[in-house]
Amino acid sequence: MSVQRHELHLLTGSYALDALTEGERAEFEKHLDRCPSCAEEVRGLRETAARLALATAVVPPPEMRARVLAAAPNVRQLPPPGRNRLNRAGRRAGLRRPSLSRTGVTAGVLTLAAAFVFLLVTQFSTNQQLHRSQASNSAIAAVLAAPDARIEAVPATVGGTVTAVVSADQHEAVVTTADVPTLPDSRVYQLWVMNAAGGAKSVGFVTVSSSGSATPVLASGVLPGDKLGITVEPAGGTAQPTTTPVVVMPVSA
Amino acid sequence: METSPRSEQPGPGHLEGGGQDPANLLTLVARGDHAAFEKVYDQFAGPVYGLVRRVLRDPAQSEEVAQEVLLEVWRTASRFDPARGSASAWVMTMAHRRAIDRVRSENASTARELKLTPGPETSDDVADLVETKLDRQRVRRCLANLTPLQAEAVKLAYYGGYTYPQVGELLNVPLGTIKTRIRDGLIRLRDCMEVTW
Repeated sequence: MSVQRHELHLLTGSYALDALTEGERAEFEKHLDRCPSCAEEVRGLRETAARLALATAVVPPPEMRARVLAAAPNVRQLPPPGRNRLNRAGRRAGLRRPSLSRTGVTAGVLTLAAAFVFLLVTQFSTNQQLHRSQASNSAIAAVLAAPDARIEAVPATVGGTVTAVVSADQHEAVVTTADVPTLPDSRVYQLWVMNAAGGAKSVGFVTVSSSGSATPVLASGVLPGDKLGITVEPAGGTAQPTTTPVVVMPVSA
Repeated sequence: METSPRSEQPGPGHLEGGGQDPANLLTLVARGDHAAFEKVYDQFAGPVYGLVRRVLRDPAQSEEVAQEVLLEVWRTASRFDPARGSASAWVMTMAHRRAIDRVRSENASTARELKLTPGPETSDDVADLVETKLDRQRVRRCLANLTPLQAEAVKLAYYGGYTYPQVGELLNVPLGTIKTRIRDGLIRLRDCMEVTW
């Protein structure tokens, strides 16, 4: 017992660096509940790892800022966790709970959402995609749940289909593909919002897995009259499209 | 001294004030404060993207994962507990886990090339943030205090995203040894960087 405990204690470092195998991580977390000194050590080592992280900071892609900030209001936030009994009453008094019924969901939209969810489920069944974040799923769900959401599917010149769900009210679209060919590592599919004046704004990359499906991409700042386009660009993307789009989809008002 | 038993606990983050302290900002974000989230974004987008990029390498994938992490900060801000750690540890832990999840789920299908060196420190398209220079200097100085094996093990585990058995394999060191080296190395780093927690 004590030997085993001692062994487990040695894992604090690997745990703080997320370097345990999955089974060990679960076991170690159970152990943490019973070992205050381990928990204390993990805390300090976590802070240390954070210093290693902060030292890697680089300037993020500039378009990421607008995208994240635009997506946040459409992502429902988690309520506070239940505190212990002593604190609970006081906390409750101070914090207003967000209303659950703030967004009315009509039957028509539910049907549309169900159709798209089916599309997602059928397309994104690989293990990798099961790891998709809930955050991005909820941003996507917000577009799907928009009362004015419309779904459009257009064939791509390279083969396969590009599907977009567009909410003109939210100025957002969710774009995904089916059976679009994968690209060599040196190339990416870049997604653009193109305006009537001929300008194009990059909104991200469509990553196609080896099975031909893509993870859905959220495009923000989509206005009526804009078009969504995808071009093949060098890895890392470009500031403006440099090739003929493999697909162009008008965004209907 | 004599605090009344009914004195209300101010709790983390007063309604007023707040300022730029990331822990206070997160408390505001938990209440849906969008302006606070912008500030949190500006403080953490660089480190989050940098760390994810360091682990994943691929710029497009890194951008995607970094976005997910930052939205996750928004979504789960109410779960941040300042009594249990700093705001940066909370955010960076989330970022690292996300990157690792991505690495490991991909490893399941495609064998990732195992390399001893963590690759290029920075590439041309990735510009350092000025305020990072100091952090980076300190980390470099403290890593230099470790034994070469400790330093290599910590770097491979954290920046490389490898499990400690993989690190052991890469460095040709038995499992029992590698976990103690990682722990000893991190403890030394903690003391060198004067992490107070």
